[in-house]
This record gives sequence, structure tokens and C-alpha cells, in this order.
Amino acid sequence: MLSVSAAYRLISFVKALRMRLNLAESETDKRVSLESPKGILARIQALRMAWIDNSRYFPLMLLMPVLIFFLLWNIIPLLWMVGMSFYNFSLITGQPPRFIGFRNFIDIYNSFAVWGSLGKTFVFVFFSVGIETVLGILLGILFWGSTTLPGRRVALTLLFSPMVLTPAATGTFYRLIYEPTFGAANYLTTLFFGTKIDFLGDKLWALPAVLLVDIWMWTPFMILITLAALGSVPKAELEAAEVDRLPWPKRFWYVGLPHAKFILMLGVLLRTIDSFKVMDLIYQLTRGGPGNTTEVIGITLFRKAFEGFTMGWSSALAVITLLMAIAFTSIFLYILSLRKRGSEV
Amino acid sequence: MFKRKVAFFMVILVLVVALTAAFCIPRSQAAEHPLKGKKIDMAILGIGGWLPSRLGVDMSPLFAKYAKEKFGYEASFTFAEAPFSALFQKAASTLATRSQEYNIIISDSQWLGALAEPGWIIKVSDLIKKHPELDIEWYDPVVVNTYMEYPEGSGELWGLPEEGDTIALFVRTDLFHDPAEKKAFKEKYGMDLPQTFEDFENLTMPDFEKIAEFFTRPEKELWGTAMQYSKEYDFMTMYLYPFMFSMGGDIWDPKERRVYGILNSDINAKAMEWNRRMLKYQPPGAVNYGIAEEIDAFTQDKVATAFQWAAVGLAMITDQNRDRVMVVPPPGFKQKDGSLKRLYSIGGQPWVINAYNDEAHMTVAIDFLKWWYLPETQLEFAKRGGNPCVKAVLEGPGFEDIQPWFRAFKYMLKTTRSRDFWHEPKYSEMLAAQQEGFTAYATGSVDDPKLCLEYAACEQQKILYEAGRSKIKPPDSCADVRLR
Repeated sequence: MLSVSAAYRLISFVKALRMRLNLAESETDKRVSLESPKGILARIQALRMAWIDNSRYFPLMLLMPVLIFFLLWNIIPLLWMVGMSFYNFSLITGQPPRFIGFRNFIDIYNSFAVWGSLGKTFVFVFFSVGIETVLGILLGILFWGSTTLPGRRVALTLLFSPMVLTPAATGTFYRLIYEPTFGAANYLTTLFFGTKIDFLGDKLWALPAVLLVDIWMWTPFMILITLAALGSVPKAELEAAEVDRLPWPKRFWYVGLPHAKFILMLGVLLRTIDSFKVMDLIYQLTRGGPGNTTEVIGITLFRKAFEGFTMGWSSALAVITLLMAIAFTSIFLYILSLRKRGSEV
Repeated sequence: MFKRKVAFFMVILVLVVALTAAFCIPRSQAAEHPLKGKKIDMAILGIGGWLPSRLGVDMSPLFAKYAKEKFGYEASFTFAEAPFSALFQKAASTLATRSQEYNIIISDSQWLGALAEPGWIIKVSDLIKKHPELDIEWYDPVVVNTYMEYPEGSGELWGLPEEGDTIALFVRTDLFHDPAEKKAFKEKYGMDLPQTFEDFENLTMPDFEKIAEFFTRPEKELWGTAMQYSKEYDFMTMYLYPFMFSMGGDIWDPKERRVYGILNSDINAKAMEWNRRMLKYQPPGAVNYGIAEEIDAFTQDKVATAFQWAAVGLAMITDQNRDRVMVVPPPGFKQKDGSLKRLYSIGGQPWVINAYNDEAHMTVAIDFLKWWYLPETQLEFAKRGGNPCVKAVLEGPGFEDIQPWFRAFKYMLKTTRSRDFWHEPKYSEMLAAQQEGFTAYATGSVDDPKLCLEYAACEQQKILYEAGRSKIKPPDSCADVRLR
């Protein structure tokens, strides 16, 4: 039960709000006394409806939760991180942060280890995305052209399963598969080549072995993208190609690809961004070893930030990697804009 | 008159008895415990999958019973855990926010500096002054240097040993005591296979290498030994240091905090070469071996011997191999004067107490630690597989017979045989740099041990210098050092 004074305060508040919004008094309002609780509720409801109906505030209301979340969890930490990148600060020395300008960035620029990690990251991105794209398109075409194949749905479900596993779990069981004395991979190498390979311990094999796991895990994503892309090809054009008896490769190249290439490009770019920040899978498999053979930039950053607790330096490296990710996103947006331009022409 | 005298005498007697009784009653019984009747929930953060760490909590019901009986309050314990490599991260993230999420933490010894500098843990030196029950006589000064003291040599104490740990050699007696193997070994190398604890006490590393070579039979899925070379946390470091320390090398000067010029020495380069050479006698994939992988290799009978932490004795000695395993000191290194030196890395973890505990939790934490070091508690800890450090317990009758590895553990828990390294706040960064350098050489990514040492020394000197921990700047030549 509202006390009388509280009810008056509420009514005044409602009135003031209504005046600010220039809301017209509804018929219901006229019939119900302002002082009665029923009247207050009716007014609150009317005001709420007015807010919802107002085209100016309604989108803002819908966006508000996301904006607040984004501000709290993205913008503020991001600005904090950018600020921190100009400081020398370690979480564990008990010393306060010390402003050092661009020294962290200069240090990173001069660091062979960082350049080495970046080099390995680009090698990893190039091969993983490249092979996943080729395999994904080939398998996607295979499934696209076999709609009446028995067990197609089961096969697709099985094929997509690696994608839904967590990288940590995948890394763990692949470590066992690669195990040199009892792993399944070495059972096969012994069977076919009569020799065992220390896949994760050998400096020559470690990166290809890690790449293979990533390809196994993410090729299904490219299959999915390919199927989605080919699904956007107009049926009439496909039927026309069939009437013209166009062979399959030409049918894909001249009919399918012009429509599918934008969605395929989206998949490639999403995979590029994802591969660029890979960390968990490799960490679980090799910890970046042997030596630093598989130490990609994500692992270097993890080590410095969460093993070394050098918050300033790590923030600087995170800012650099963020800029690189933004560069990838810009390419992605540019390519998507090409579609728009193409359709306008 | 006589009656009055008797009465007066009686009054005096009663007064004397009453006063004497008042002084004789212990204070603990006289004053009630401040938490009497209350219920306190405690949380311990420990190392995941690490038995001695787990024992701290597994034994907590015993403390709960003790506290209820002795102090009249109820205490319950929950256990949060993280693997070695993530433990500090987990602790730091709560302590940095002044949280008492974990009231007691089982830290690694090298974290003492990093926990002490920001004021996250309480100073045990001060605690001991207030609670003399915690002023315990430890088995050897190495216990104090390793688990309690920061900075090195300062005498300031920040931790108390939860469990001690040393490297021991786990040996398969079904192979070593087999007459056919003994005969074949004698014929091949002209020496006897060591049979007893004392034989291994006198075993040199070159002779051990012969043994490892002898048992390396890949066609039978058997290899001579197993060590740790993994890049994770400190695994590689802990198994390379024994070669460096025992051959006369050093890693830094703790006073000046000088690394460059000490770590990158010729002796240490030779130690690295020797350490890598030992991979010849280990199963394929040993470059990625950590504690768990080594346990697997030994319990699956893939190796004849294994250099392993005494703390995982229960995992190394299973029901299947219990009757055919003996635990002995690891081999020594012959010195120029003919003496035998073995200076291995020391493991083990200290208890540290969260400085942000409220009064009630702090009281229970202190009560818990006092209970932990009672001889009967320590003995129970030992029976369950933990390695105690209290002198009275280790020197008690029958201690060496409680667990198969206790004799080797006790033998190695000496300043002359086991050694810890940096308790620096910058520990983790320094460790990551040298793990990178050391594993690069062990795995063959880099073939020059001097270059790897140069890299680690430059990086560590730079870390210390830039953090203001050392006045010694890394030389300009460090700018060109890279692992290629």
C-alpha cells in the first residue's frame, strides 16, 4: 500500500514526465481519479505505452541493455588496456604503475621473440585457412550435389561434430593420439611406414601436427559456409545450366561462384580472424613448444600477461594484435561492400 | 585462642590453595576461545591433482573434530585448485582485489616474493612472535630457505612448509635384481648393477648413464630412464638444474641479482649438453614429459628408472608394482677432488595465509596451522603419503619405513643435496624466458647451448633491471641475441 504522500509524489513525477513528453491525456485518465491507486497505475501504464510508442526513444530502450553491457565489458576495459599500454606495471611487484610513454611498443618492435611469434602466426593462418577453405569448398560441393544421398543428414551431423567440441578437449585427446609410444597416429605410421614419429616433440613435425588438428576441427565450418553460399544460387540459373548441359566444374565456376563468393569470403575472413587469435588449442597440444616452434602470438601474449603478469607490456601487445584484428575486419567490410557496389552497377 | 589460630591458619591455607590453583590452570582453559559456538567456513587454494596439496583438505575433518573439542567452534573446509602453471594466476586475481576468497593458500616456494611484495600474505616472522607454537624445529635449514624465507638470506619468513619434496630415483627391482640382467650388465660394462640404497648412494652419473643405456631396448618398448623436459611451468628447469648445480654451475647472484655472466657459463653449457644426451635413453616423446607423463611411463613399465618427485610416490608405486620398486638417491657427479656431489632441485610447497582474512578466519587459519604441526597430525600426514619437514617427525623411530620413498626423501632433504631458486616477484617471467631457452636446446630447435643460456641470461637480467630489482643492466650485446 502506498502512503498518501508517496502517492502524491508519484503523481507529481508522472505529471512532470508527461509534460516533458507532451503526452495527451487519454480517455481512461479522465475517467479515473488521479488520487486513486487505480488511476496511478493507469497513468504509469499510459506513460509506459507512450515511451514504447515513441519512435525516438523506443530503439534506444531496446539497445540500452546491450549498450550498457558493451560499455561495461568492452569499452571501459579496452580504454583501460590502451591506457595501461603506456605504463610499466607488474601485478606482482607491489610497485605502482609508472608512465613510460611508447617504451612498451618500442620494446615489442625490437623483440625478436614477438616477430618470431608473429611469423609463425601468419604461417599458421595461411595454411590453416587455405587448406580448410579448399577442403571445405570441395566437401561442400559434394554434399550440395547429393541431396538424395541416403544418410546425408547423418553424415553432415558427424562431419560438423568437431566444430562443436571445445579446443581444450580437442587438444587433450589429440595429444594422446599423437603420443609416440601408444598413440593411434603412431600405430598407423608404424603400420604403413615402419617408423614412429614424435609429432609434438619434433621441431619439424610440431607445426604441421598442430595445423592438422586445426584443419580437422574447422573444415566443417567452411563446409557449412559453402553449403549456405551455394544455397543462395538462384534455382532458375542452375536449371538453365542443367538444360545447357554445362559440366559440373563450369557450373560451379560460372553459375555458383558469382553468387556464392561473398558468403565464402565471409567464411574465409571469419576463419582468418579466428586463426589469428588461436591459443587454447596449441597451448593444450604443445604449450608453444618444442622450443618455440609453435609459439604463436596468442601464446606469447598469454605467457606475458597471465604467467609473467607484465600488464603494461602485455597491454601494448594486445593493442597491436587488436589493431591487426581491426585491419582484418576492415578488409572484410571492404569486400562485403564490393557486393553492394557490384549490385548497384 | 587456639581455635582462632586454627581458623586463621585455615583461611590462609584456603587462600594459598586458591591462588596456586588460579595460576596453575592453563590460560586456554581459563579464557574461552573467541569463536566458541560459532561456525566458520574456510577455503584453501591448492594445486590440482597434487596429492600432498589435497591432503591438507582431506585431513581437515580431523581438524574440525579437534577444533570442536578443544576450542568449541565448528570449522568446515572447501578446496579450490589449479594446476601448477595456473595456481598463482588464480590466487593473484583474488588477492589483488583484497578478497578473502581463499583463506589459506598452498603456494609454490618461488611465489613467496610475488605474494609478499604486494602485501597479500601475512608475515610469518611476526606470527611466530605472537604464536610461539609455530616456532618449530625443522629437519634442515634448507626447509627454512626454501619454504619460508624471502628475500633470500634476509631471515624474514613468509610461509610455513605444507610438504617437503625432493627428487628421488625410482628403480624397478624386477630388472635390477634379475640374475640374468646382473650377469649381462657385468659382462658388458665390467661393473655390478647397483642393488641397495647404499650402492645408489655411491653411484655416479656416468655409471648411471651406462645403466640407462643398458636398459634402453626400444624393440621391447623399454627405455633406461625418464626425466622431465616439458616447456610447461618449471618442468624442464627443475631437471636441468641438478646437472648445473652438481657440476659446479650457478644461476645467479641473489645479492646483486646478477644473472648475466653467471647463468651463461661454460659449465652450464656442458650441463645442458649432458642433460640433452640423456634423452637417448628415454622413450620417444620425452621432450614433452612432465610429472604426469613420467608417472605413466614408469607405471606402464616403459622405463627401468625414473627421476621423480617424492611427492608423487603414491602415484609412482601402485598395487601392481609395489613389490618391485625401490626408491633411492639420484646419482651424484664426480668432482675434481674425487668426491661425489649431488645437488638437485627441491620441490614442495609452503602454506601462506591471506592477509585480508577477517579476524575469525585468521584465527581459524592460525589454529589450523598449529594443529597441522602437531606430531600426531604430521605422522598422519606421512601415513597418508605426505612428506613432513618437522625434525622430530623425520627423526622419529620408524619414519623411514612409513612410505617406500621416505628414506630417499630424508636423505635428499639437506642443504648440501637439494636447492631452491629465486623467490623473486619476477619469478614467473624469468622462468618463462629460461624455459624457452632450455627447451629450445633440449628439443634440438637450437643446437648451441651457449646461445640458449645467453638468451635466458639476457632476458632475465633485463627483466630484473627493468623491474628495478637489480642495478645491473644487461650488456648491449644482448640486443642481438635471439633463438634461431
